[in-house]
Amino acid sequence: MKLYEYVIRRLIFMVFVLIAISIIVFYLTRGTLPPASALAPYVTPKMTDAEKLGVAQSLGVAELGCPSYSAYIARASGCIVPLYQQYFSWLRLALTGNWGYSQIPGIAVGTTTWQLFADRFPYTAELATVAVILTVVLAIPMGIISATHNNKLPDHASRITALAGYSMPLFWLGFILQLVFVLYITIPRGSEQIGLLQSSGTLYTQCAICFSNPGSITAYTGFPLIDSIASGNAAYFWDSLLAIALPAFTLSFGTLGALTRVVRSSMMECLRQDYIVLARSKGLRERTVVYRYALRNAILPALTITGYIAAALLGGAVIVEDVFSWPGIGAAALDASLYLDVNFLELYTLVAAVIIVVANLVVDVLYAYLDPRVRY
Amino acid sequence: MSNPNNQEKSAQGTPKTTGEDREKKGKKEQPTGRLAEIRFALYLARRNPLVIAGAAISIISILLAALSSLIVPPNIWEVSNLAMRLCWNNPLINWHISSVATCSGAQVYPLGTDSYGRNLLQMIILALPLDLETSFEIVSSAFLIGVVLGSAAAYIGGLVDEAIMRITDIFFAFPGIVLAIVILTVFGRTLPNLTIAVLVVWWPIYVRLVRSQVLSEKEKPYVEALKSTGASPIRILYRHILPNSIYPVLVQFTLDIGGVILVFSGLMFLGFSPNPKLPELGNLVSDGIQYVFTAPWLVIFPGLTILLISLGFNLLGDGIRDVLDPRLRR
Repeated sequence: MKLYEYVIRRLIFMVFVLIAISIIVFYLTRGTLPPASALAPYVTPKMTDAEKLGVAQSLGVAELGCPSYSAYIARASGCIVPLYQQYFSWLRLALTGNWGYSQIPGIAVGTTTWQLFADRFPYTAELATVAVILTVVLAIPMGIISATHNNKLPDHASRITALAGYSMPLFWLGFILQLVFVLYITIPRGSEQIGLLQSSGTLYTQCAICFSNPGSITAYTGFPLIDSIASGNAAYFWDSLLAIALPAFTLSFGTLGALTRVVRSSMMECLRQDYIVLARSKGLRERTVVYRYALRNAILPALTITGYIAAALLGGAVIVEDVFSWPGIGAAALDASLYLDVNFLELYTLVAAVIIVVANLVVDVLYAYLDPRVRY
Repeated sequence: MSNPNNQEKSAQGTPKTTGEDREKKGKKEQPTGRLAEIRFALYLARRNPLVIAGAAISIISILLAALSSLIVPPNIWEVSNLAMRLCWNNPLINWHISSVATCSGAQVYPLGTDSYGRNLLQMIILALPLDLETSFEIVSSAFLIGVVLGSAAAYIGGLVDEAIMRITDIFFAFPGIVLAIVILTVFGRTLPNLTIAVLVVWWPIYVRLVRSQVLSEKEKPYVEALKSTGASPIRILYRHILPNSIYPVLVQFTLDIGGVILVFSGLMFLGFSPNPKLPELGNLVSDGIQYVFTAPWLVIFPGLTILLISLGFNLLGDGIRDVLDPRLRR
């Protein structure tokens, strides 16, 4: 099979995955939740019951013969359209970009679900990117040292760190970090002690090492770090960097173990190969052997895992976003599920699934490109 | 890969054992087969202090969980004592926070009290059986589903394989915890629903793992030999292939006990607890977060317990993996 055939086949399969996921979420939410929640994204509270019924009928969730809105709410017979028909009318709306209004409290009334998602997504993407960079920067050296010092102290230390990452309740780590950096590490300013960082949110307003009033930036992309560079606001950039530090570190600590373990085992595998023996017997320095010869081959499996980690984090880190009040899509999805915003949940799961499937595909293709032995 | 221990034994068996071990073995008949494998595995595990630590933590936590109702009155979590709310009187730790309240009375609360005035240490001990039991339930169910579906997919192949694997693909593309959240939102926050929600997220891993193991195992010559003796496919699968391919799945099982506790307590932390007073480690952390700057022990100790239990099972699983995989030995 040619590579492009393989890609096309996977992309076609992705469509089926997306349809299946949207059906599962649709049946879970519409099938069991009260009928009002299906209608909520499309109506405003000011509408009369007759108007709401009209909207319900035009959306294809209430039968045309339904006598009144209260009958629809009470699931009276002859009022609720069968679910599979509802699915198709919902799908038609969704594909034309009509996802209704957001139901999450605290969001400006009249914000569409789509707008909310677009506003929140850059925050999650930025957090995931920084976390992945941190993971790679920490895990690859740890894995290499672990493999080259097999069963010695550095190996044990890095293995325990990796295992601690696997075993860490991230919601707990998040609070412990906040406790340490906000309560216990303080810098005196005037008469009071001010924490090194402030507890949570996107920007700190009061902390020892940040600007309390960094000014404002123009939202070119929605990514605070990029926008602050584009706007030339260094203070804002510094503050954004401080704000993202703790959540990104928390996230990366949880994913550190997986990458370290892969780097370690593939490095050990590579160091045992004949060409490494040859390189050593030629009298090359150990550093050259490890970093120029072994690492090149050992890094491939690490690439795969990094791809999966990136996809998983981009899909939203619900718990960490919740702990740090980070305004990303993961935290929004949690709110959406609490306030039965079914359309946001649909949008969120579908986008996350697209990210996961596409990331896996990209990793596979990249792998085939980098390692000529792999063919599909 | 089927029988790593045998290969390893022939490669480096006796010369590597210590003098003490050789003496013991010399007295008895040299054990063969499974018994020898188990002995050799135990010997390897003994040499690794991390495995010992992991095994110790796991066994202690299981014992504590089993005996918790004897140590602590099982219904004491329902009793609030608001007079003793959020206080600390363990002299060993000074929190250096001005607002910490000191518990009055002679009774020492080793880990302070929570927002309902309950003894936090008692709550943590009471939480152990719930967390461990749920985790075992979820992982064993996922394990069973994995063994049945995974071996069916690999052994029957064709359309069955395709169907099972495409379904797992769908679940792999789901953002896991959100599916669990949707299930809990829709069906209500009860303990059985929490168990099911995590299970729905967890089973596909086992199907993939068992399938890949069985796939590589069924091409081995001994399966061919069994077929030629006329053994039934079911017998070959369940009596021969599965026992030989189960080790990596058992490693995953051990590792997942910790992993599931993290997800389960994470869901509790996010507010999906059926009862805010329920002694469950994640729920205890969740109860403590609003007091994190005035009563930090409420967050620290339950979370530390989660970390310890999870670390224990992970160390154990990691050690078992090292023992079973000859490439990682030495």
